[in-house]
Amino acid sequence: MATFMKVCSVLAKHKKPLICHRQSNLSTSSRLFAAFWNKDWKPGPIPRTPEERAAAAKKYGLRPEDYNALADGDIGDYPELPLVARSWRDPFEDYDLPGEKRNFGEPVNASADIIGADLWDPNADGRYTYGQMLMYGVLTFFGFVTAFLVLSPYEYFPPEMPKQYPFNNLYLEKGGDPANEPEIKHYTFKVPEE
Amino acid sequence: MGNMWYSYVSNPDTAPDFKNPPTFDPMYGFPDGRQERTICATREQLDRAKVPLKKRDYCVDYYMKFLECRQKHFPRVWSYCHDQIHEWEHCQIEDTVLRVKEWEREKRLKERAKRKARRESMEALD
Repeated sequence: MATFMKVCSVLAKHKKPLICHRQSNLSTSSRLFAAFWNKDWKPGPIPRTPEERAAAAKKYGLRPEDYNALADGDIGDYPELPLVARSWRDPFEDYDLPGEKRNFGEPVNASADIIGADLWDPNADGRYTYGQMLMYGVLTFFGFVTAFLVLSPYEYFPPEMPKQYPFNNLYLEKGGDPANEPEIKHYTFKVPEE
Repeated sequence: MGNMWYSYVSNPDTAPDFKNPPTFDPMYGFPDGRQERTICATREQLDRAKVPLKKRDYCVDYYMKFLECRQKHFPRVWSYCHDQIHEWEHCQIEDTVLRVKEWEREKRLKERAKRKARRESMEALD
């Protein structure tokens, strides 16, 4: 109980979140958009005049002629940028942030953090088509079936002869005719004691 | 694994048939004879104790002792009857070893028969 009260008081005093990120306006962590939200990064109001547009373009690191459209959704003056997967970017270019294939200050799409910097690529072709997947699955299944059928005559066995039972292999116990009881003897490998 | 390679790949003609009893005379190769396997219990005793058929092998004597102990000490079977179980399992192990020896004997006699047949056919040609 005492530790619980202590934890509550610590949380109340410290307004910062308990994730360890560097306290700076520059996000240079390799995890794209993983830093906590800073109020200075909030987009401004929609620009109306050419001067406002130019200022907004400079803020986002775009040239004024590139700053044409606004991003989808109610997020102010954030520009619309193409949603290009990281895999489509040049792998041999010397990026400032090689993990993200991105240079410092380069603007990214507004939805990039949700889509995922390295997961979703709207133009990526899968390695296998659905037809190929189905074919390989069916082949594997019937391969197992064939192996089972081909190998079933060659059953697994330990190198032993059948188990020996007394009383003439339990002839009467298994429902044999008492008149025809055969005489079956079993032996060990030892010399009989005198 | 080696026995399967022997039976299916390299020597299928001399591999013993593991599903049927041995085909050669049990005393063949034993000038002094072999000791017979016996059990002390009688059929009536086994029926009275209601021993299952699968357990009525040449180790039933030990099994009956275990049953006696179990009836006496149930439910603390594992504490009191450990020795009886151990004796019974040891008997089973020796039975397994005997079966393996029978397989080996069958295999060697079959190989010998094959060699003899070949020698006789070679001599018949001369």
